[in-house]
Amino acid sequence: MKPEPCPGRRVTEVVVLNTAMLTFISFWHAGAIVLCDMASTAWYIGGIVETAIGPAAPWFIVGVMFFAAPVLALYVEGSSMFVRGGVYKVVRESMGGTLAKVSVSALMFDYVLTGAISSVSAGQYLAGLVNSAFPRLSIHWSVDPKLFSVAFALAVVAYFWRQNIRGIEESSDKAVKIMSLVGVMAVVTFAWSAYTIAVRGFHWPSFETRFTPESLGWLASGQWHKRIGLLGLVIAYGHAFLGMSGVETLAQVYREMEAPKLVNLKRAALLIFFSALVLTGSVSLLAEGLIPDAIRGRYTDNLLSGLAMSMAGPHWALLLLQAFVVLVGVLILSGAVNTSIMGSNGVMNRLAEDGIMPESLRHLHPRFGTTHRMINTVVVLQALTIVLCRGDIYLLGEAYAFGVIWSFVFKSAAVLVLRFKDRSPRLWRFPLNLRAGGFDWPIGLALLFLTLLAIGLVNFTTKKVATVSGLSFTAFFFVLFTISERINRRVAARASAGHQEKFNLRQADDLSVIRAEIDKPNRLLVAVRDPNNLYHLNKILETLDSETTDLVVFTSRIRTGLGLIDETVVMDHDEQKLFTRILELAEKSGKSVTPMLVVSNEPFYAITQAAQAVGASEVVFGVSAKLSTDVQLERLAMTWGSLQQDKKQVRFRIIGPGVEHVVDL
Amino acid sequence: MGWFQKKPSRSLAPDAAKTSSSRASKGLKISSLLCDETVLFPAEGQDKAAVIEALARAVCRRAAIADWTVFLNKVLEREQGISTTLDTGLSLPHARMDGIDGILAGVAVLKTPIPDPKQSDLSIRVMFLFFSPNKQEAFSLHLQLLRGVSSLFQPALIDQITAASTPSVVLELVRKLEA
Repeated sequence: MKPEPCPGRRVTEVVVLNTAMLTFISFWHAGAIVLCDMASTAWYIGGIVETAIGPAAPWFIVGVMFFAAPVLALYVEGSSMFVRGGVYKVVRESMGGTLAKVSVSALMFDYVLTGAISSVSAGQYLAGLVNSAFPRLSIHWSVDPKLFSVAFALAVVAYFWRQNIRGIEESSDKAVKIMSLVGVMAVVTFAWSAYTIAVRGFHWPSFETRFTPESLGWLASGQWHKRIGLLGLVIAYGHAFLGMSGVETLAQVYREMEAPKLVNLKRAALLIFFSALVLTGSVSLLAEGLIPDAIRGRYTDNLLSGLAMSMAGPHWALLLLQAFVVLVGVLILSGAVNTSIMGSNGVMNRLAEDGIMPESLRHLHPRFGTTHRMINTVVVLQALTIVLCRGDIYLLGEAYAFGVIWSFVFKSAAVLVLRFKDRSPRLWRFPLNLRAGGFDWPIGLALLFLTLLAIGLVNFTTKKVATVSGLSFTAFFFVLFTISERINRRVAARASAGHQEKFNLRQADDLSVIRAEIDKPNRLLVAVRDPNNLYHLNKILETLDSETTDLVVFTSRIRTGLGLIDETVVMDHDEQKLFTRILELAEKSGKSVTPMLVVSNEPFYAITQAAQAVGASEVVFGVSAKLSTDVQLERLAMTWGSLQQDKKQVRFRIIGPGVEHVVDL
Repeated sequence: MGWFQKKPSRSLAPDAAKTSSSRASKGLKISSLLCDETVLFPAEGQDKAAVIEALARAVCRRAAIADWTVFLNKVLEREQGISTTLDTGLSLPHARMDGIDGILAGVAVLKTPIPDPKQSDLSIRVMFLFFSPNKQEAFSLHLQLLRGVSSLFQPALIDQITAASTPSVVLELVRKLEA
């Protein structure tokens, strides 16, 4: 119910910006999200790579996992430059919009395939378990692994579609739980493997590569790999490159990472590197060394089940171990589906902010505030891929890695070019920089780019399925983005003046609504008005402890007369700009904020009422261009006293460049 | 200045301004800043400026300040800026003055409310005028007083004060509420 018109200084409408109430995640959460994709490849990479290049597969897989270190370092440098980074942003900044669209189109192919291959692989593992366990339970029934995996994959995609519609915080919690279970499984598997090796011994995988015509692609006819030895190595390496899928998601979750952001980014990168190396690398080596050749073919699509069943011990115990491996596999592979949806949603958001995607795709879910239409788009594409591949893991594996490698090529080229284009100091730099002629030559970055380019070009000629399907998909997305961008020229024109965030507004008639949004022992209110005068907010964010303090960022819309009463609150352009800027600052600092807009007829009453409703112990202002700090404080002291219901002490702070006034009342 | 010095316990010691607000606030009784001579009942028909003038003259006379117009002009100058009237019906004209060491204050009780010239929807029923030392260390106390007076003069007290007929009753009401 609307209040009656009143001559007093009242707040009549309160708007809390749901979307902007950012909560940030720890490096554990961020690392777990990325690992759900990257480490999940351990469940299928061995079988696929061995089919493609022969018994040396584990060595190349280990090599790829080591190579993740420089690639992760590349992402650390890229993300440290752009909070909302990722390949699209970095490539656009350095090499322009067209190449950025190409790179992101390739990346979308990776995300769609990640969802498909992970969920289908999970289905294959489950089908394998069912088919091994049923005979032991005297159930004479079996499932068709391919059909079963397609049905299961669709169910998994549907489940994570729902989770992502609900929001990132919930899904990142699940990622941590999944990775904890993976850790337990890794310990059990390594311990059991050690026992098995002690009992039966271990034969190290050979270094022999055995290419099939399929794995040599267009190079098969010339036998080029035999003429040039190094080429064979690169071909083999390229086939194992799918182990690196998921790294881009690190850039996508960086905006949600809590303070200190860069430190946490580095921690997450280290966590990802060591976990993926230990899990994927070791498990691939153990599978090759412990599964007898005679039964290896049976487990191509579920190699870790084969590893479990090849351990020393009674059959029932091995079956239990297989069940555990399958359970964890199903969870982490499902987690990879989640990661791919989250990552692609992040990428599409960056595109939409730039006016490349239709504005309607950025529509926020009315209840959860997520970009549900983007999530729907990715999920539909993943479901289509699952149905079209008909449960064929090798086919998916062959197609995979196109997006991974080419997005890395573009990203490394972009970060390299930026070193020359933008010579401002970096928060962190990829190592190996040679100082000469007053310039730090990025030798390390250049070597990384050349290595990635070489792998990309070789993959281009050897992985026929990946090249044809990847190019088609990339071309399709590129055309789609280009057409969409042209249609959205107006949006793009507006975006050139700075992107504007989408907000969900929750409207209420009184300030008590804000109480529901805050739960920490300390409350701080920062009053803002001008998007170009947020120095004080920045200063507060620098020292804010988000664990113990709720930060409410407050602005008021001043209206007089009857217009005050029945105003429907839709944010105008200036308010949109203001809150977009607030959100950017919060993301940059990794600290949570609760933005609030109120409609009132007097700004000081509005601030006072809001601060008292929040229970703020501190109220912070910027230096006003219109009023002196003394007059601001005087007026605030008067309204505070006039409205105060208790004797609680409050601190007023006015902060500006070189200015800070603190008064305790 | 003169009468303030007569009450050294209420004077503004430099240290007091530096201490935290709660201590300053606890030490400051608004009723102690007032006396019979500085509680006025202006005649009907006067506007805000006239009431301010009467209060400034009374406050300065009480403090033995001869050149009261300097004080008046300063407070009128402040009145040109952001409003000092609250929607409780309290008006709080104030100024920070050189040459004084403590707070000088007075109250005008308006039997018939007068409109605020800057905000036509607000009426003034009680005016609390004060001068504080124009020193950085006194600013905290200046703000304490603004908050304290605004907090004390709520509609219930204003109703009682405007019903009173003598300064001593007004002072007694304020003292009682502060106790």
